[in-house]
Amino acid sequence: MASDKAKPCELNQEKYDADDNVKIICLGDSAVGKSKLMERFLMDGFRPQQLSTYALTLYKHTATVDGKTVLVDFWDTAGQERFQSMHASYYHKAHACIMVFDVQRKVTYKNLSTWYTELREFRPEIPCIVVANKIDADIKMTQRSFNFARKFSLPLYFVSAADGTNVVKLFNDAIRLAVSYKHNSRDFMDEVLQELENFDLEQKEEEVPDRVQRGNIESPSPS
Amino acid sequence: MHFLYFFKVYVRMMCTAKKCGIRFQPPAIILIYENEMKGKSRQRIMPVRNFSKFSDCNRAAEQLKNNPRHKNYLEQVSLRQLEKLFSFLRGYLWGQSLAETMEQIQRETTIDPEEDLNKLDDKELAKRKSIMDELFEKNQKKKDDPNFIYDIEVEFPQDEQLQSCGWDTESADEF
Ligand SMILES: Nc1nc2c(ncn2[C@@H]2O[C@H](COP(=O)(O)OP(=O)(O)OP(=O)(O)O)[C@@H](O)[C@H]2O)c(=O)[nH]1
Ligand SMILES: [Mg+2]
Repeated sequence: MASDKAKPCELNQEKYDADDNVKIICLGDSAVGKSKLMERFLMDGFRPQQLSTYALTLYKHTATVDGKTVLVDFWDTAGQERFQSMHASYYHKAHACIMVFDVQRKVTYKNLSTWYTELREFRPEIPCIVVANKIDADIKMTQRSFNFARKFSLPLYFVSAADGTNVVKLFNDAIRLAVSYKHNSRDFMDEVLQELENFDLEQKEEEVPDRVQRGNIESPSPS
Repeated sequence: MHFLYFFKVYVRMMCTAKKCGIRFQPPAIILIYENEMKGKSRQRIMPVRNFSKFSDCNRAAEQLKNNPRHKNYLEQVSLRQLEKLFSFLRGYLWGQSLAETMEQIQRETTIDPEEDLNKLDDKELAKRKSIMDELFEKNQKKKDDPNFIYDIEVEFPQDEQLQSCGWDTESADEF
């Protein structure tokens, strides 16, 4: 079992450092419709790569953002219990998150806070969209306010994987957010590194504080 | 041969299912249908054979629906309706009261919105999903639909006046 748990880390995630690659993860309770949403967006064009042992499905997609081609990997997980065994690598290097609940089931809304807390532990800054799915089943829910999204200032999308309402918009916006997060965080980290170098040079004559040196080397690589 | 073919068409055009029920003793599915030509209600009794309290209601329903002798009459009766009738029979064979069986059917065909589906095993989760599929399929807009639109955008503004979803707690730090 222990070796099983270690395995997902062997999934090659280096590629997400490349400029034209982004990783978008889906979160949410069992049966809220994560997979149905993916399938509605990708229609026949999807080639899911099932890694069933880890309850993980990868959907590959090619998008164009501002005239540039972007290779998108959507990560979809099933069944929370099994998900426990792989979550660190699931979040690793993700550039955006789609977090889904079911408008017909209160528990799935309540559990958003657990999902969100865990997301922020691993990825404190990435854009996150809250998704209210299955509005076809109860259209009145689109006339209600949901404090969770408001409290954390997260965008809220009302969608239906069944009739297609707002599904394409949701995914295209998520891709856009992922791409812009990637570029901005890269720029930001480059700046920080630059400043650390300058700082280094200026202090050359004096004793360079050990702390700064280490800070420089250990600063998490931007992704 | 000609006659047989004619008969099939005749049944399909002229028979409208009105009611469908189950008789426990001896077990039979009973269909009340209307013969449009004569405007008269008729009854068709379809005996249920080889059904025990351990039988699978879904399979029994499928078998009856595909039975060459009955299938034309049952065209308008859905598989789910038939399955439900067999569930009543099975409940009867187990000695349950009608109310108990009704409750059980209710449990098996609806989603309990309070239930935490994260904790279920694969099989139980698949059962819940197949119940959900009924509505999903009913509301689904398929790609081969003539008026299918890939990108449907509808705005649902979240302004201040909206009524709360009722799922947020009153206290300020909780949502
Ligand atoms: N009415 C309706 N039902 C939906 C919709 N989306 C999904 N469903 C139903 O919900 C069930 C579960 O959807 P999935 O896509 O399998 O859910 P999931 O979030 O991927 O679930 P896990 O992979 O088990 O975590 C489906 O079998 C559908 O019947 C929707 O937009 N409307
Ligand atoms: Mg799924």
